[in-house]
Amino acid sequence: MSRKVCIAGGVATPFDYPMHITPEAMAANCIVETQHEIPDFTLKDLQFMVYSHFSVHFGKQLCPEWIVHDHLGLVGLPHVRIENGGNTGGSALFGAFMAVKSGLFDVVGVYGWETMDNVTQSQGSEFIALASDTRYEALAGGIYPIYYAAMAYKFMKDNDLTEEDFALAAMKNRNYAADNPGAQFYRSDYTNPKSPYYKKTLTVEDVMESRLISYPLKKLDCCLMSRGGAFALVTTEEWAKKHAPDTYVEIAGAGLSSCTIRAGDRIDFPGWNKLYGKGYPDMTEFGACRKSGEDAYDMAGIEYKKAAKEIDVAEIHDAFSSSETQIYKALHWCDKENIKEFVREKQTFLDGEVPTNVGGGLMGYGHPVGATGIMSALECSYHLNDTAPKKHLSSKTYVKDANTGLVNSHAGTGTSISNFILRRP
Amino acid sequence: MTNDKRLHKIPGHTDVEWDDKHSDEFRGNVEETGIGFMGYDWDSKEEQFKVYLHYDQLYYWKYAEVSKLGKGFVDGEFWGTKCPKCGDKFFPPRVNCWNLDDNLEKTEWIQLKEEGIVHTFTVAGWSGKSSLKRLPFILAYVIVDGCKTAIANELRGIEPWEADFGMPVKVVWKPKKERQGTVTDWHFEPADGWKPGPMNEEKERIKELCQPVIEWVKTMK
Ligand SMILES: [Zn+2]
Repeated sequence: MSRKVCIAGGVATPFDYPMHITPEAMAANCIVETQHEIPDFTLKDLQFMVYSHFSVHFGKQLCPEWIVHDHLGLVGLPHVRIENGGNTGGSALFGAFMAVKSGLFDVVGVYGWETMDNVTQSQGSEFIALASDTRYEALAGGIYPIYYAAMAYKFMKDNDLTEEDFALAAMKNRNYAADNPGAQFYRSDYTNPKSPYYKKTLTVEDVMESRLISYPLKKLDCCLMSRGGAFALVTTEEWAKKHAPDTYVEIAGAGLSSCTIRAGDRIDFPGWNKLYGKGYPDMTEFGACRKSGEDAYDMAGIEYKKAAKEIDVAEIHDAFSSSETQIYKALHWCDKENIKEFVREKQTFLDGEVPTNVGGGLMGYGHPVGATGIMSALECSYHLNDTAPKKHLSSKTYVKDANTGLVNSHAGTGTSISNFILRRP
Repeated sequence: MTNDKRLHKIPGHTDVEWDDKHSDEFRGNVEETGIGFMGYDWDSKEEQFKVYLHYDQLYYWKYAEVSKLGKGFVDGEFWGTKCPKCGDKFFPPRVNCWNLDDNLEKTEWIQLKEEGIVHTFTVAGWSGKSSLKRLPFILAYVIVDGCKTAIANELRGIEPWEADFGMPVKVVWKPKKERQGTVTDWHFEPADGWKPGPMNEEKERIKELCQPVIEWVKTMK
């Protein structure tokens, strides 16, 4: 096929709630820190900017990307903003990938951010619920965790799993986040004497004892609302080799797919019935994850059945511990027959087959929506370019000798999902 | 220009006159206050400044081609749609068929039986600001009258830990003058004659998780 596209480098800010820094200052910080790793890189190298931002409700500011772009001094440079719910970051990365792959541009900046700490958590939840079909769902159901819980409960039943099985992911991601100084769990809990989780290594019991959000999900099964930003530099292989030989990773596969806005509309959808058999994905699995995952695997030459073996490290969209578990299955890492063993044998822990969310994920690092997918891609790349020991507090959360990574970004009730395969050059 | 019967009708500019108005019946004449600054905070040590911005907006949702759904709710009727080509039934309604082979076939309105089967459900212990006081509640996804889709709404009339997958439910309406033409005009309750199954470990667990929520809601004004 055509030329190779790479992530030359990039940096995420800390994520937190609240946090006191403007979107344009977060962008500037990310670019300055990227320059520490890629000294040749200046703003003058950029040919196109893709902004990744979910909701203008949080800032009460339409076109907030215009402020960032202007204040970075990039006036004159073409820019677009991509918005695709929780998959905004992944979609922006997909946009940048297309821009370079097409040959139109060689050096593209992707900057994503969200300022969810501008409103209270319960108001923030209502804003996010506006991304459901508000005519039929927002006022009946309330908020996204409730929709996810209804899907999780059926998934749990259909696959003979328990609350404790989901809790493993919640425990894992937060404990890994305790080794990551930028992570919200590290900032707001692990190093905060006022938090009940101060200097605490979490257990499954802690998750089980946290307050009910919506059965089977408890507070610690759910991700965090955050302020934060992330910048990635997407370039041709030629540019990356020349200017960022030590940090760049190749985007070897990319997939983007879609599903119904309402989870209740996917129990008998004609398109999915044709592709995956009648009734798939039901309200239990993520069809758009399976499809975009398969597209990314195809592009990277990965056999679906061998995906778990081939992928050395993954950062996936753990908005909920249950959705992380659902994603394992949608990505062909396990199936109905062996999902219970896969989860209980801790195959996604550091010592398992596919270490997943060792950067902390959304539950540990945070979820400022527009920045999240980009943060995930960067955290994944830190293992492929061996910078993880430097980025994290120790080498405990470094996956050595990783050659292939997977990045997943996920929106709505599974309404838009992207997957990427990253490779060490 | 064209007589393609799949096209949706758009009323002329002066055709819609709202001869039956109910906009002030629920919260009085809700005023838009617009955008305004409400105050500020200052942190002298870190030199951080924060302002309070308030914004209030009234929206006017036009149901347009799905108006039959809203009027049906006010009248205590369930209206869904059905594709004349493939027969798929939708609730909530889709105005065009979802089957790509049917090439945007326009669906037809059909009145549905106000009954269904619980496809999945959850017991909510936390929600958005406007729903906190009704916690804990069951949110059920129900397949209404053999539709190809499931609709979410509250399942009442039983303890939150008593719900079951596959249980039959009926629709219960709010008193007529409280209806607004939205999904909050009705909720689900167990079908007549349905009895909750015996308590088991999982139901006990849900019951236990609900207790602090029940206590917490009592403390709310
Ligand atoms: Zn049809």
